[in-house]
Amino acid sequence: MTRFFARFHNLDRRWLYLAMVVILSVPVIIQIPLPPGATSPTTKGLYDLIESCPEDKVILIDSSWDAGSAAENRAQLECVIRHICREKIKFVVTSAGITVFGPEFANQIIEPIAAETGYVYGADWVSLGYKVAPQGSISLLIDGICKDLHSVYPADHRGTPVSELPLMDRVRTHEDFHLVYCVTYQPDNAWISFVKGQFDVPVAYGCMTISAPGYYPFIDSRQLAGMLIGNRGAAEYEELNHKPGLGRILIMATSFGNLMIILAAVVGNMGFYAARALERNARRRAG
Amino acid sequence: MNEPLTIWVGAIVTLAVFSYLVKENAFYRFFLHAALGTTVGMGIVMTIKQVLIPNWYQPIANAVTGDGPMTGLLWVLALVPGSLWYFQMSKKHFWVSTLVSGLFIGVAAGLAFKTWMLLIMPQIGASLKPLNPFDGGFTGEKLAEVVSNFVFIASLLTALLYFFFSFSTESKLMGKPMRFGRLMIMVCLGGMFGSTVMTRLSYLLERLRFLYQDWIGRQILSLFGG
Repeated sequence: MTRFFARFHNLDRRWLYLAMVVILSVPVIIQIPLPPGATSPTTKGLYDLIESCPEDKVILIDSSWDAGSAAENRAQLECVIRHICREKIKFVVTSAGITVFGPEFANQIIEPIAAETGYVYGADWVSLGYKVAPQGSISLLIDGICKDLHSVYPADHRGTPVSELPLMDRVRTHEDFHLVYCVTYQPDNAWISFVKGQFDVPVAYGCMTISAPGYYPFIDSRQLAGMLIGNRGAAEYEELNHKPGLGRILIMATSFGNLMIILAAVVGNMGFYAARALERNARRRAG
Repeated sequence: MNEPLTIWVGAIVTLAVFSYLVKENAFYRFFLHAALGTTVGMGIVMTIKQVLIPNWYQPIANAVTGDGPMTGLLWVLALVPGSLWYFQMSKKHFWVSTLVSGLFIGVAAGLAFKTWMLLIMPQIGASLKPLNPFDGGFTGEKLAEVVSNFVFIASLLTALLYFFFSFSTESKLMGKPMRFGRLMIMVCLGGMFGSTVMTRLSYLLERLRFLYQDWIGRQILSLFGG
């Protein structure tokens, strides 16, 4: 038995990679339903804020993700857009200073949902497109968006002047925003500093799980109104929406992966101790 | 670009990247360099299209053709500080570039100061948490909150003690709190590492979904009439 476990001590890591691929493939191919988990306060914070949006305000969504972080940001944007469209809230989408592919990826998600819910482009929602951060400083861009959105974005992503878009008549400064929801790999803290700190507009994030620990202090200090953390956040939000989607599928598969990692850690440790025991026995026999 | 071609290219690149897990190989290295080259090329094109043309060239061109105000011609002057950056390539005249880089550092420092002040000040306030469970009536929930607050404040102070003040770990007075602070930092780093693992799994999942659904499901199976 000891010899059997000792083999795991020096197991070629490629077997682990293969096992992980196989384990993750199962829930991707066959969708196994998992019971919904508890909703975290960070997710609930964003949901409640969207629910309380008054009719005369819009939600600004900064969607600055592309293929690099689609693994988690896609589901985070999808569930929030579904909720916004269900509540008939008007929204504006920007892509500030991070990735030029932001608008393309965001529109892939938004357009089908907008069509499904009868949202009219220009009247109910607008995609302003990508803007390079001036002097490489996203702070200046965010400051400009809050002070005069029209000067930062004279035209939308299709090149239509914003003056020709009915929705943009009533959206110009931070006073017209009910909430700024920023979805990207690792949202810039300038959103908190300027949008919340200077202009007192609530800010919420949708970020990768790896970035989330750095933002918890802002939740505690109420500088962030809410946050969707990776696919878990998306799955929780879908639960609140009563519309299971991509987040639910992905978090279920991630759970399988986590189980596999825990199992590998346990077996690896058993292998380590078994190998040490064999070494001790060998030394005793030799001595 | 048509969709099937995009999916096939995506699948080949994905498999090339995954091939590194088996062994470092030329197939992987080729796509790594291609990705780096594409990124740099994209960066140059985007800077020209998104920054230089609309913000610098267009105002000058409009002033010349009369489609815009004559003040647009002032943008020509931006060439002067812009050109100074190139002195970084000269050992002898390097100091000239520091004039403009100093200006940029000044602007960045000013912005950073404002950003951090707006970011950190509310957190200092939020660090002051109530520790009296009897304030406003005693309840189980209140007690749980106070315990949580106590752990938070203890962690905050001891982590600062460990990180910022160089007391000896042998110190009778400071040794134990410092060790507790170090333990709390370790717990925090453990949590962060857990988050890292979750994200890496998500990356793998996203690629697997792409390979199974888009590539195998929609492309390969369609070749066999599936």
